[in-house]
Amino acid sequence: MKKVCDNWQAAFPAGKVSPEFWAAFEENAKNAGAEIFKVKTAAEAKDIVANLAKFTNAKKVVAVDSALQASANINEELKELGITVYNDATDIAEHAESADIGISTVEFAIGESGSLCMDGYAFESRLVTMLPPIHIAFVNSNAVVAGINEAFEIISKVYDNGYVSFITGPSRTADIERVLTIGVHGPSRLVIIAVDEAINGGVN
Amino acid sequence: MESANRDIKREINEKLHDQVLRGALGRFAEAYPTARAKAYENVEDVEALREQFRQLKIDTVNNIEAVADEFEASVTKRGGKVFRAKDGDAVKQYLIDLCKKANVKRIVKSKSMASEEIHLNHALEEAGLHVKETDLGEWIISLAGHKPSHMVMPAIHLNKEQIAEYFSKELQQEIPTDIPFMVQAARKALRTEFLQADMGISGANFGIAENGAIGLVTNEGNARLVTTLPRVHVVIIGYEKLIPKIQDAAPILRMLPRNATGQRMTSYMTMTTGQTPVMVKQDGKWVEQPKELHVILIDNGRLKAAKDPKFKEIYNCVRCASCLNVCPVYTIVGGHVYGHIYAGGIGAILTAFLHSMGDFEKINELCIGCRKCVSICPGKMNIPGLIEELRAQSVKENGLPFGVKAVFENVLANRKVFHTLLRLAAIGQKPFQSGKVIRHLPLFLAGLAKDRSLPAVADVPFRDRVHKINRKISNPKKRVAFFSGCNIDFIFPETGESVYKVLHDLNMEVVFPEDQSCCGKPVLGMGDRETAKRIAKKNIEAFEQTNADIYLAACPTCTETWHETYVELLHDEPEWKVRVEKIAHKFREFSQFVSEEYAKAGRLNKVAGGTKVTYHDSCHMKRGLNIYEEPRQLLEAAKGYDFVEMKDCDKCCGMAGAFGVKYAELSMPILKQKIQNIKDSGADVIAVGCPACMMQIQGGLDKQLPNVKIKHVAEILAENI
Ligand code: SF4
Ligand code: SF4
Repeated sequence: MKKVCDNWQAAFPAGKVSPEFWAAFEENAKNAGAEIFKVKTAAEAKDIVANLAKFTNAKKVVAVDSALQASANINEELKELGITVYNDATDIAEHAESADIGISTVEFAIGESGSLCMDGYAFESRLVTMLPPIHIAFVNSNAVVAGINEAFEIISKVYDNGYVSFITGPSRTADIERVLTIGVHGPSRLVIIAVDEAINGGVN
Repeated sequence: MESANRDIKREINEKLHDQVLRGALGRFAEAYPTARAKAYENVEDVEALREQFRQLKIDTVNNIEAVADEFEASVTKRGGKVFRAKDGDAVKQYLIDLCKKANVKRIVKSKSMASEEIHLNHALEEAGLHVKETDLGEWIISLAGHKPSHMVMPAIHLNKEQIAEYFSKELQQEIPTDIPFMVQAARKALRTEFLQADMGISGANFGIAENGAIGLVTNEGNARLVTTLPRVHVVIIGYEKLIPKIQDAAPILRMLPRNATGQRMTSYMTMTTGQTPVMVKQDGKWVEQPKELHVILIDNGRLKAAKDPKFKEIYNCVRCASCLNVCPVYTIVGGHVYGHIYAGGIGAILTAFLHSMGDFEKINELCIGCRKCVSICPGKMNIPGLIEELRAQSVKENGLPFGVKAVFENVLANRKVFHTLLRLAAIGQKPFQSGKVIRHLPLFLAGLAKDRSLPAVADVPFRDRVHKINRKISNPKKRVAFFSGCNIDFIFPETGESVYKVLHDLNMEVVFPEDQSCCGKPVLGMGDRETAKRIAKKNIEAFEQTNADIYLAACPTCTETWHETYVELLHDEPEWKVRVEKIAHKFREFSQFVSEEYAKAGRLNKVAGGTKVTYHDSCHMKRGLNIYEEPRQLLEAAKGYDFVEMKDCDKCCGMAGAFGVKYAELSMPILKQKIQNIKDSGADVIAVGCPACMMQIQGGLDKQLPNVKIKHVAEILAENI
């Protein structure tokens, strides 16, 4: 899958990406309506995804693969539950609209705002985060920056062409009588799975 | 709505009786300040952040052509096409041609104020194109055929019953008034639109010259779909949205969501540049292709503003709408009264530049100069200052209404005539007077003073009392020249007496230059700079002769006029510039000056007393002069008083000179709220530092809360001497 940058971690400024910002991230993300699970290993993450799929009675999942997801064996686990999983760009284009869950991995998290920074160069990577009613986002729990300034320090180093975005909680509106309502055009649930262990040269 | 013969007063009256609007706006205005403050809790130095952003924007606008060129080059280099549109017609023509060429039939749009500014949808629909707004609020008002009434919450003037009706009609099924259900119905209907669209049109919250990226913030996620799904993406972006570097987006993103909706970040922030991949189905098969990207950079008055030394400030606006949320006028009338699509004080300014000066002239009076907006705007825009500037320009071009002009030039610029008239008024008003208020005030506002009781002109003006109250001070500590201003001179002379008493008690000598006149603010407020200059010069001459150590006023508006306005008015007359600066430099506001002197004398110790007193911050005092601690210190130290705060102590009382009189129907609800807050505080006395607020609040107390007394801080101090 093509990305804005193949190695975001190389752009992380020394000393500015650290688990010390996790608490702020967790608080702000929760306030924005995200659901958060923090686990030690990728293997533990697998159970969370499986349970979520069971409870929501999911039949169809679209997922853009990452090293983190692969090491958790997510796809195999879901298939064992009898769920159809699509990973290929063309399949995602065809099925994202009718899928129950979309799965992706983001580059890092932002403490100040509870946001996830996502590399959305690939068309399919955006579809999985937008079209299904549930978005599961994997992130390495050590890859947290303090604030938006630091986030842009990183982005400015890698962003030349393509699509970069922040995701902060589920899709929402308050356009009718200022009543907060979840799930307008995007997902109504954002489930963040933060994995402590470093995968493929991840941040420790 | 934009016709030449709009009846603003009638429109305002309708809005005042619109219960849906009043309810929604009222609740929002109530909740907004807390939500915003909470969102900023984890920002260490908000002021520094605002200043950083302001500097960034100033640097950018000073270089706007170069920045725009770089932006264009960056977009082009990455395969996008840039079109620089002079005005709305150019945008429409370009788009209609493009749709033909690219075989576009269906368009989805995410919110773009620039496209609304030029009424784009209408033109596209007339050309036979199928266009859908996808932001829920925008979709609702497009179904209703309304204009947005708020820049961030365009449908805030509608309730769910009304909206359900529009939905039922559009979707041809009965939609119940259950908000989550309604939102789901909208999601379904619009999802189909997204999936079928050939073209997505978006606005941009910022555009980065460095790599040509545009940034969009939304909560619903519609901008992500508009920029992702269709095979053609068109961005409509105004020059004011450009920033040089990628990192320059950070201050915008740290403030825009916090200010707009009290969020630390919106649900989605999207940046895109170049021809991102898009997949389309051809003959039943998905194929990937580079997306066709067009960026329309729209001028429509923006480049002219960029060259104007004052109005280039409009580039600082990020369209967060927080200036509306705190505006005492907007929160009562809503956005539609402002006519065009941009509402509130900022709307009046943008309308003048991006639409027409004619519309500005109808709405410019809806700013009462309270500066609430200035204190929270991310770009630190001086909205009331710019409105005053526009008024001045409009007066320069079109002149004042004849009657007003005659009064200004012949009466206000001539102290003797003016004062004689006021004295006559004191006699003339007798038959109409009941107690301390009269029904008609034959002031220079005469023709405007309708349906409203205002304080009476005093029998004996302050200037005629001076000789009785003045005392010779042997070995005075300081020589103070007192500028009374019209209100103290002719309406509240007792306040002037208290000022004298306090200063004498501090062992200071006080002089009253006889030739002083009105400070000129009312004249300036109407945009008549020439008369204001004449008045300024006369006052300067009068004060130069006093040889005083300190010049002092007990009115924040007068103080500010001396400090800033005179200096600015006369900045291009070198001789006068020097003269006014000498005085302005030594001009002091009463409560600040006295609190300093009291502190030196060890008289600022808190005491407890029986009479509860609360304090109303005048707009000019707090946000103009930044004085708010000093009067409180004085009240806390005043014997016999117990100081308590009230809710919204620094919210405008609704007076603001001619506004309170001309738009009485608007000023009244603002005042009513103030009186309620005074009542809730349980205070027996409401203290003020501004005679104009005193006039307004006294009128309200008379009718609604007769047991509460209003006193100028000077009077409270004088009681204890
Ligand atoms: S003027 Fe300031 S407060 Fe008003 S919309 Fe613009 S940025 Fe926001
Ligand atoms: S100065 Fe006051 S009245 Fe004028 S636009 Fe700003 S908030 Fe509104």
